[in-house]
Amino acid sequence: MKRKLNWESIVRSKVFWAVVAEALILLIAVIVRPDFLKIEYNEVTGMLYGVPIDILNRSAEIIIIAMGMTLVIALGGTDLSVGALVAVSGALALKFLRWDVLIYNTPGNYTVMPFYLVILVPLVACTLMGAFNGLLISRLKLQPIIATLILMVAGRGIAQIATNGKQFTTMYTPYQFIAQGHVLWLPLPIIIAAVVLISIALFTRKTSFGMFVESVGVNPNASRVSGLKSNRIIMIAYMLTGFLSGIAGLIYSSRISSCDSNNAGVNNEMDAILAVVIGGTSMSGGKFSLAGTVVGALIMRTIITLVYFFGIVSEAILAFEAVIIAVVIVLQSEPVRKAMAKRGHKKVTGGVVRA
Amino acid sequence: MKKLVALVLCLMMMAAFTASASALTVAFSQIGQESDWRTANTDDLCKAIEAEGWTLVYDDAQQKQENQIKALRNFISQGVDYILFTGVVTTGWDEVLKEVNEAEIPLILVDRMPDCADEIEYAAAFGGDFTEEGRRMGFWAGNYFKSIGRGEEEINAVILEGTTGATAATERTNGILEALQNFPNIKVIASQTGNFTRAEGQPVMEAWLKAYPDIDLVLAENDDMGLGAVAAIKAAGKVPGKDIIVVGCDAVKVAFEAIVAGEMNATIECTPLYSRFVVDCIKRLEAGETFGRDVLHPEEFVYDAEGGIAYNAEGDKLSIKAGDVIDERLY
Repeated sequence: MKRKLNWESIVRSKVFWAVVAEALILLIAVIVRPDFLKIEYNEVTGMLYGVPIDILNRSAEIIIIAMGMTLVIALGGTDLSVGALVAVSGALALKFLRWDVLIYNTPGNYTVMPFYLVILVPLVACTLMGAFNGLLISRLKLQPIIATLILMVAGRGIAQIATNGKQFTTMYTPYQFIAQGHVLWLPLPIIIAAVVLISIALFTRKTSFGMFVESVGVNPNASRVSGLKSNRIIMIAYMLTGFLSGIAGLIYSSRISSCDSNNAGVNNEMDAILAVVIGGTSMSGGKFSLAGTVVGALIMRTIITLVYFFGIVSEAILAFEAVIIAVVIVLQSEPVRKAMAKRGHKKVTGGVVRA
Repeated sequence: MKKLVALVLCLMMMAAFTASASALTVAFSQIGQESDWRTANTDDLCKAIEAEGWTLVYDDAQQKQENQIKALRNFISQGVDYILFTGVVTTGWDEVLKEVNEAEIPLILVDRMPDCADEIEYAAAFGGDFTEEGRRMGFWAGNYFKSIGRGEEEINAVILEGTTGATAATERTNGILEALQNFPNIKVIASQTGNFTRAEGQPVMEAWLKAYPDIDLVLAENDDMGLGAVAAIKAAGKVPGKDIIVVGCDAVKVAFEAIVAGEMNATIECTPLYSRFVVDCIKRLEAGETFGRDVLHPEEFVYDAEGGIAYNAEGDKLSIKAGDVIDERLY
């Protein structure tokens, strides 16, 4: 009896279907190219080497941003400004590294401002911008889409101003280490993403913050009446998202050793929202799943890697991605999940009868 | 106090206008500052115009077409003598450029040609020859493999394309494929967009290194993607420039540094320095000369580690050693 219930609840959960989708995509890839999931130790670089490492490495930024986005969406909101904050963070970091740039770029292994400022200023700035979003939403009661749209547009402008609209390049090794270095045979972005994931998971599940978020997401007024400080919870979630976008911005700019205010973080807001939704958190707020979000981000990166790996022509990339994501979302839709749960239910009862 | 400042400013502006009435006024609508290449392009043109003693009216559109349309209309109402124009996109200029024609202000197209170029009047057009740049990438690579004794060996090449649909990307790809027909030993095994950025070029190369273990040559349609490929090759434990030959395009200073460091092998120039041609063109237009409707191409070269590799079909143009010219390169 208990087993039957378990199967049904698993099949009914969206996270399960996200995992199934990822497994299916990987299965197809492995059938076509058995070496797709091969990981080996590379003696020259001292790092683990293989497609799965690339997928984890390249999805680090989206995983980090989407951790904050999960909380924001669970609150019934959304944050469109994250991509712009990625650009702001990178631009500020490079501004502090390369305060000396006048007209043209001659990169070198040095920093003009102390390194702690290079890291701290972008993170503080992004957290403050997150606080600005939170303030507009919690105090002025603006709709989250509208409120965060302001920084989505203005953020890129701020990034452009910070660097006079130019691209600075740096060869400063400690800065390059953030995204190009490795710890424990793994690229550092994977480690940073793991640390962020564990911290947010502990923060939401070991304290009552996660429950508060879900409660405010389901019904902010009822939560407030029953004594929750909704405004403060909203503020924390948006500040956290801003801070995490700042980390993602540092990783992005470190990867390319430069800031690119036009291209940094473009579409990251949409990718993060998609990762959250594929991971099973509803856009209408309430229950959220951090693990689901991670799987969602991995699915999207797996698709992109597949495209590169199998040499699909440039023009077809977007259509190819769209088809896979559409299939995943349909798999997760309420009617499909119900139908699958029923089928599973019958099978299990059959087994019980036979036994 | 504020009123006083405003008054003084007004007077100064009026004084500036009357003073410049005798000299030429050249307006320049630039798309914005996107890269070092663009910065060098703006800087070069603006300085050259001012150096001639002409009045420069410069507008930075910050990558927005509506800003550029507004700027062009402002130029018309100010009654400038010449308009230099680089469009942020290729379409949607018909109306405003016709207004420029109606105002009878000579229009000089710089760097990018709008789609409506056939329907409007322009005094002259300057731009890069992307197809030729692509051809040079192909010829340089083919001849380089010959020069190191691998002319008969089968070479696996990959192409990192620019932004899908961009003229520079399509034409460079066509040029590369056209030139490679002369080198039957070079086979293109993969071609994918890296969006002209390092951030997107690098993961593409990462995936290719796993999918095709025996890549010999990367043809990157700009230097940024080339540098992304270099980083990916290093991460795979291979030596860029030796195990895998990397050819870039644009010839920016970072690429020169990579060539001198032995990590990149060559870069094909796409010069941002148009001032020499544009200033000369304005002078000749003033003297009553006319230019045809053909797009004029600036003189460009190919740079590599040693120099001396032929990069055109006739084999009479030889590459220049990057180390010799790196100090002169500003951008």
